[in-house]
Amino acid sequence: MLTFILRRFFQTIVVIVILSYVCFGLMNLMPGDPVELMISANPRITQEDVTRLREFYGLDQPVYKRYFAWVSDISTGDLGYSRTYRIPVTEMMLPALLATFILSMASLIFSLIVAIPLGILCALKPNSKVDYAVNLFSFAGISVPSFWLGIVLIIIFAVNLGWLPAGGYQTTGMQYSSWFAEMMDKGKYLILPMVSLSIQSIGRFSRFTRSAMLEAMRNDFIRTAKAKGLSNQVVIWKHGFRNALIPLITIIAISFSSIFSGALITETLFAYPGVGRLIYSSIIGNDFNVAMVSFVISVSMVLLMSLVSDILYGVVDPRISYK
Amino acid sequence: MKSIYLGLVLFTTLLVAAGCTKKEGDGTAAGQTAVATSSSAKLSNNELKIGISQEFENFNPLIASMSATTYMQHMVSRTLSTIDADGKWVPRLAKKIPNLADGSAKIVDKGGKKKLVAVWEILDNASWGDGNPVICEDFALAVKIAGAPTVSVGEKEVYTQVESIIADPKNPKKCTFTYEKAKWDFYQLGTFYPMPKHLEEAVFKKYGSQKEGYEKNSLYSKDPTNPGLYNGPYVMTEIQLGDHVTFAPNPKFYGDQPKIKKIIVKLIPNTGTLEANLRSGTIDIISSLGLALDQALAFDKKIKSENLNYKVLFQPSAVYEHIDLNLDNPALKDVRVRKALNYSINREELVNSLFEGKQNPAIHSITPKDPWFTDDPAKVTIYKYSSREAERLLDEAGWKMGADGVRMKDGKKLTFTLMTTAGNKTRELVQVYLQNKWKQVGIEVVSKNEPARVFFGETTKKRNFDSMALFAWVSSPENSPKSQFTIKNIPTAKNGWSGQNYMGWANSKVDDILNKMDTEFKPETRIAMIHEVLKYYTDEVPVLPLYYRSDVAVIPNQLKGYRLTGHQFPETDEIEKWTVE
Repeated sequence: MLTFILRRFFQTIVVIVILSYVCFGLMNLMPGDPVELMISANPRITQEDVTRLREFYGLDQPVYKRYFAWVSDISTGDLGYSRTYRIPVTEMMLPALLATFILSMASLIFSLIVAIPLGILCALKPNSKVDYAVNLFSFAGISVPSFWLGIVLIIIFAVNLGWLPAGGYQTTGMQYSSWFAEMMDKGKYLILPMVSLSIQSIGRFSRFTRSAMLEAMRNDFIRTAKAKGLSNQVVIWKHGFRNALIPLITIIAISFSSIFSGALITETLFAYPGVGRLIYSSIIGNDFNVAMVSFVISVSMVLLMSLVSDILYGVVDPRISYK
Repeated sequence: MKSIYLGLVLFTTLLVAAGCTKKEGDGTAAGQTAVATSSSAKLSNNELKIGISQEFENFNPLIASMSATTYMQHMVSRTLSTIDADGKWVPRLAKKIPNLADGSAKIVDKGGKKKLVAVWEILDNASWGDGNPVICEDFALAVKIAGAPTVSVGEKEVYTQVESIIADPKNPKKCTFTYEKAKWDFYQLGTFYPMPKHLEEAVFKKYGSQKEGYEKNSLYSKDPTNPGLYNGPYVMTEIQLGDHVTFAPNPKFYGDQPKIKKIIVKLIPNTGTLEANLRSGTIDIISSLGLALDQALAFDKKIKSENLNYKVLFQPSAVYEHIDLNLDNPALKDVRVRKALNYSINREELVNSLFEGKQNPAIHSITPKDPWFTDDPAKVTIYKYSSREAERLLDEAGWKMGADGVRMKDGKKLTFTLMTTAGNKTRELVQVYLQNKWKQVGIEVVSKNEPARVFFGETTKKRNFDSMALFAWVSSPENSPKSQFTIKNIPTAKNGWSGQNYMGWANSKVDDILNKMDTEFKPETRIAMIHEVLKYYTDEVPVLPLYYRSDVAVIPNQLKGYRLTGHQFPETDEIEKWTVE
């Protein structure tokens, strides 16, 4: 197993290096650069300023030279300096990553808490009224565009009812008397974006759970377990659900891989200072250092979670071996 | 399984807790609730939350370039002079603007070169937030830092045009500026910010030799809430990039103390949700960096129909929406065709039908708030809508109406491509309007839109548009149009695609006038010169003027003293006058 993990780890590094170069090259193919943005914000910037700034930022150098310069900086632990925000990348990325992690994890966990029981319930009572109702909810959840759902949630809960804030991360400028007060305040801001993100995931997860569980419950060993007189709970959770876990692990692992990538539309709608918005603005603004660090994190997470799901297959199903 | 579920719920709670820090705001909002159903009902001078939709950056005034940062910078930092809401240059940190008439500025000959020497005297009570006085050396440090090749200053000429700053030995606030060139606009130092020498000099000395070393280690990056960095009516008390910035009054401010005790500028990147945030009380006003015009018009109607306690402000701005014509296009080389295109546009109808009259029709590149503006028919050619005149000009140019309603000449149809930025709803509506108007006189126009990055980064920059490019120029009052009008500024591969004369307009007389204007110190002569340029501009029609854009903002009725400016120095330049009544 150790050989398997090491081999996969090495492959992961190679893939990251190749993809990062491709990404760097693609970003360079986009027209314009950060200096163009400066010109649009300041009509008095002269052509001499433009030439000087391009030279200063190294934008006049070929792509491969700039890539190697970036790699050499990264290898020394210097993630660079954001051209857009004018601060070191680490100072900017860490709070955004934390905010996104909280939102994505809360949404993922909430989705799983709701979706798995719903999926199992539907699988145990296929074609029942409950199954139809859950199916309807699931398809609606998958189909509803998140930007529309977000606006509807804001109008209902923030504008009309006034129960929840329309957007943000915390009450700006609020003094917290205790850790609990701060948690309650931030939690309130998390509800709408979390629900907006979760509705789609709940639909997807419940559909997967239902089909995986239906498949598992049709197996001979389930009939044998029932014939042995085992309780329903044991049959469902120990024999049925455990066997339904393999396809579920794949989709949950994929979802996990995006917890640091952010949710651009949701974050933008709810003015949530997460990493999704940061990645978008860095790509649009040709802020190479931020975009590349974000990219490496995203790619690493996908590859890492793919590795984790492969390992977990073996944990839930001992028949699977690593070679 | 129950335990797994309990674990998941507990983990979610811990996640939220993980986002909690010990960082606290220092304002007066203790105990406030996060949600309010109507902000304006309980609005007071204790706190004002401003919504913006554009990202902001580090506040170092030498380096910052984003519009949202400029917006906030005017709350905390002041310059020697600025343009007020009436469009006039006025002193800010200075006692007065030097001029040749009273001898406070004079042209001198140094080594055979004409230079300008001006004496700027800083207000006696102008000081930094920590109580240190603003002195000439703060300006000299700004020049020194901005001039360093290791620091990435955007508009460097603002600083490098100043050759030296010498303080009066008896008065550290009396500064003699020597300008490299004797140019009339020397006093336009609206973006010339002093740097607090007592704080920033040490940083520059230590890190100034490293590339970007100063930017990374400046106190504006490391300790942005240090009051000593600011000399404006407010100081920054908290900054969270990508979310909000909080300001408190600066007790050391030289002018009247601001009335509002706490200001929070909150970033809401989606303009579609700005209104919801306003109505739910998350923000109290929507700044000029918020709504698009169509959103403002829609909200204006809601305010009236629902009797809401807000008002939408519309202010004509220095943004000029127009169509650049590519004069290399064979059909557009004929001035009669260009004039016909101009005569076919009913600008009054356009602004009334699309913008409900909240934006003004344009006649040339100088906006009405600019002292250089003229609409005198004796000085500029005015093109009043006349489809008959357009048809006459086209007939005269040999373009005869074809059976399909499109004019033809030498077997070729009179067809143009109108390009603009994709996804800009207003511009797309304007395109449709213009297509219909031109179709009526037999000109076929097809639309081709591109993402802004491609449109500005490639198409206009390299003059890759076939015939027409619709976009806007952001100008400022009394700004020489050299970069857009002179031959030197026609982008070519040879000059590295530099310059903004995308039309390819070549008129050597215009070049001469604009070059002479640089050193013309008599305002009335300058005005006459720019009017001469405008005469050529409107006669030769290298550009089709459309309309002057308006700035929009939404404020509660109780907020007084708030004035949109319509130029690059935003409404926050007079923020100390804002008050809630």
